[in-house]
Amino acid sequence: MPKNETIAGLDLDEYKYGFVTQDKPVFKAQKGLSEEVVRQISAHKEEPEWMLKFRLKALEIYNRRPMPQWGGDLSGLEQTMDEIYFYLRPQEKMERSWDDVPQEIKDTFEKLGIPEAERKVLAGVGAQYESEMVYHSLKKEWEEKGIIFDSIEDGLKNHPELFREHFATVVPPQDNKFAALNSAVWSGGSFVYIPKGVKVDTPLQAYFRVNAERMGQFERTLIIVEEGAQAQYIEGCTAPVYSTESFHSGVIEIVVKPNARFRYVTIQNWSNNMYNLVTQRALVHEDATMEWIDGNLGSKLTMKYPSCYLVGRGAHGSILSIAYAGDGQHQDTGGKVVHAAPHTTSQIISKSISKGTGRSSYRGLCKVYDGAERAKSNVECDALLIDETSRTDTFPYIEIEEDSASVGHEASVSKVGAEQLFYLMSRGMSEDEAMAMVVRGFIEPVAKELPLEYAVELNRLIELEMEGSVG
Amino acid sequence: MAVMETTAESVNAAFSAEAVERRATSGAGWLGELRREAWDVYERTPMPTTALEEWRYTEVAQLELERYRLAEPKGESVAVPEEARAVLEGKAASGTVLQVDGDIVEVTLDESLRAKGVVLMPLADAAESHAELVREYLGREVGADFNKFAALNGALWTAGVFLYVPRGVRIEQPIRVARWLTEGGIAVFGRTLIIAEDGASIDYVDEFQSPDFDQPSLSCGAVEVVAKNAAQVHYVALQRWGRGVKHLSMQKTHAGRDADLDSLVVNLGGDLARVDLHAWLDGPGARSDMLGLYFGERGQHFDHNTRQDHKADHANSDLLYKGALYEEARAVFRGIIRVHQGAQQTDAYQTNRNLLLSPNARADSLPNLEIEADDVKCSHGATVGQLDEEELFYLMARGIPRKQAERLVVFGFFGEVLQRLPMPAVVQELSEAIAAKIG
Repeated sequence: MPKNETIAGLDLDEYKYGFVTQDKPVFKAQKGLSEEVVRQISAHKEEPEWMLKFRLKALEIYNRRPMPQWGGDLSGLEQTMDEIYFYLRPQEKMERSWDDVPQEIKDTFEKLGIPEAERKVLAGVGAQYESEMVYHSLKKEWEEKGIIFDSIEDGLKNHPELFREHFATVVPPQDNKFAALNSAVWSGGSFVYIPKGVKVDTPLQAYFRVNAERMGQFERTLIIVEEGAQAQYIEGCTAPVYSTESFHSGVIEIVVKPNARFRYVTIQNWSNNMYNLVTQRALVHEDATMEWIDGNLGSKLTMKYPSCYLVGRGAHGSILSIAYAGDGQHQDTGGKVVHAAPHTTSQIISKSISKGTGRSSYRGLCKVYDGAERAKSNVECDALLIDETSRTDTFPYIEIEEDSASVGHEASVSKVGAEQLFYLMSRGMSEDEAMAMVVRGFIEPVAKELPLEYAVELNRLIELEMEGSVG
Repeated sequence: MAVMETTAESVNAAFSAEAVERRATSGAGWLGELRREAWDVYERTPMPTTALEEWRYTEVAQLELERYRLAEPKGESVAVPEEARAVLEGKAASGTVLQVDGDIVEVTLDESLRAKGVVLMPLADAAESHAELVREYLGREVGADFNKFAALNGALWTAGVFLYVPRGVRIEQPIRVARWLTEGGIAVFGRTLIIAEDGASIDYVDEFQSPDFDQPSLSCGAVEVVAKNAAQVHYVALQRWGRGVKHLSMQKTHAGRDADLDSLVVNLGGDLARVDLHAWLDGPGARSDMLGLYFGERGQHFDHNTRQDHKADHANSDLLYKGALYEEARAVFRGIIRVHQGAQQTDAYQTNRNLLLSPNARADSLPNLEIEADDVKCSHGATVGQLDEEELFYLMARGIPRKQAERLVVFGFFGEVLQRLPMPAVVQELSEAIAAKIG
């Protein structure tokens, strides 16, 4: 069948950043997880006593909690837990300018194709290499506006009160097993503070990547957006290919105060041996808006459900999610919206593509508490299946306790229609081009919300998959 | 996950190996064995908890399992209340069955159908007179492995109905079954086995009624429907128990090649109703229309757990469950469309719509898809909302009082389900039953 010939080329599995640079960490904690390791991390970071206590308590919770039995298959991860380095620090001090960054690390960024976008357009960059921020600079005008964009460690050191007031208030360690793990061993990530009324157009960006083999990465990001402020944050990650399993478990906490507006963009393209288990959550106050844009292309298994807790009257949450599952990949993604105040509104749009033996699952929650009068939520999920062996699931949870709420959920599953391809081919397109166009059209509603360079990259990826499918 | 040890005795001393033995020794030998096996499975199976996905929103404690004694069959001595007979009166039927508590007290069947080989009789009798047939099918769809309560039913059932329709025989009027409870405090285990041979056609209405009780009674039933190639079966379960009754129903339908197997599940009565309906589409070209309708008030709790399992290609299933909830009523809908590998050209749809009409009503909806074939059309939708103010305004502007306007709109909401049911007489009865409930 010609259909299959075309589809055979749609292969994102060939990992495009498959390279390794020499690994020279400055400090490496021992393998595996224990109270000793946690104490070591905390001591190494010269943390205040409360943080050490917090970490130890989180470790206790982590040890107590059973492995989740839902979602993806975590058995491979359980076996390798003892082989993981829970902390790794590549350099002693924080770099302030690009010139100070070692050539080896620059090479890595070079290969990732980051520098163009990063060096010239964006000045405020927290680039995470291995477990810690190695490169960090902030545009002068931002500093003048009072914006803080630091590594999470510096956030704790330099702004202890602000930090302590918000840290772990959005995602407490009790939340889930992996949030507990992250709370115990977190290292690296960003601390962002946007003062009252400040509006920034240029997005804040952080790139990070996992390098050392079998190294866990437990980045933690805390973002506080004060009243009436507006900003967006972009995070993208790629990791080189390794044969053994790798593990990433981040926690992102965002507080969006009244009338503020914040957008968080992630494009995840981990190598296909990565377990990516992330908790991302925002507390959204009165008349504030939070937008998550979540792209999941890589990893072996991703379990990630960006959430908006709408706690202030008139708050709005929006989640755009796109997932691609190639051979052997499982993208268990989606979003959660919790309406806990009157007149709150939310929207989730999810698009997924499953190819080969890939499996994409939408898992989402829409909860409206009693008293969240006139809450409105709408969820749309569309799944595209490319091959006979591909799989897709949809697991929405809709829990409504408020009678004046209005909630809708719709999902559809389809394959690329022979008619669609025929229509395009009859206008002179090759089958590859036609396929690429249909797939691009399918993800367009999400792609158009992405920052330009990401949208371009996403489209280029899809085109790459179509190339070479002739034959 | 820790498995909770729950022995039967700790749940209710009346559900016991002795009770199973009483039943096992009074019927066919092979059936006795089946009961003992079911009992073993029941004892081995942990009591479901809300940690299980399928029981997430319904606590087993709500069933108050400890409060019942078993309704033992009384045989000839059973008294049949007039209201029980009234359930069947004046309704066109090709055959009728009347159940009172643990007994099947009366069965009628058109002579002409009997002559064509149609069998309608108590299941326990059929286990002896039609042993081969019953043995082949009983427990095949809803066996002890279905869930803990199906195992309990498999061990303890007494009030069973058996319907067999031979190849090509069409039954014009519905087969009507009335199931009646006379008192609170009892547990009744009913069962249904329907077999439609190739090209046979059946309409079947299972109706559950009782007065209101001060103390709870339990009805725990199992329904197995087999529609062979090109057979047509419409199965309707109309649950109108009085208050106090807890209703558990495990149903499985099996649709063969080109078969039509439609179901309608209506929940209006009782305190708690939990319905598990698995529709299997095993033959190419099979079709299942699955309808559901529920109307809850004053603390009623309805939990629907459905599955659409597509094993064969070119099959079609379409589910529509609609419910309206007043006062502290609560509804749960959990449905899965599962398209197995190779079930290409599947069309499967699933829709759940809820109207919340009081501030304390609650609806939870989990419409799930699991798709392992690529050339399929599947979609699902779920909504929770309230009456459209504009629709109400339109009616009120024409002089209709608000209360009445609300009723009309709710009725219209259910209309979408009723108009898909190809049984006009039953639709009429249902409309009346709903009207009676809306008040």
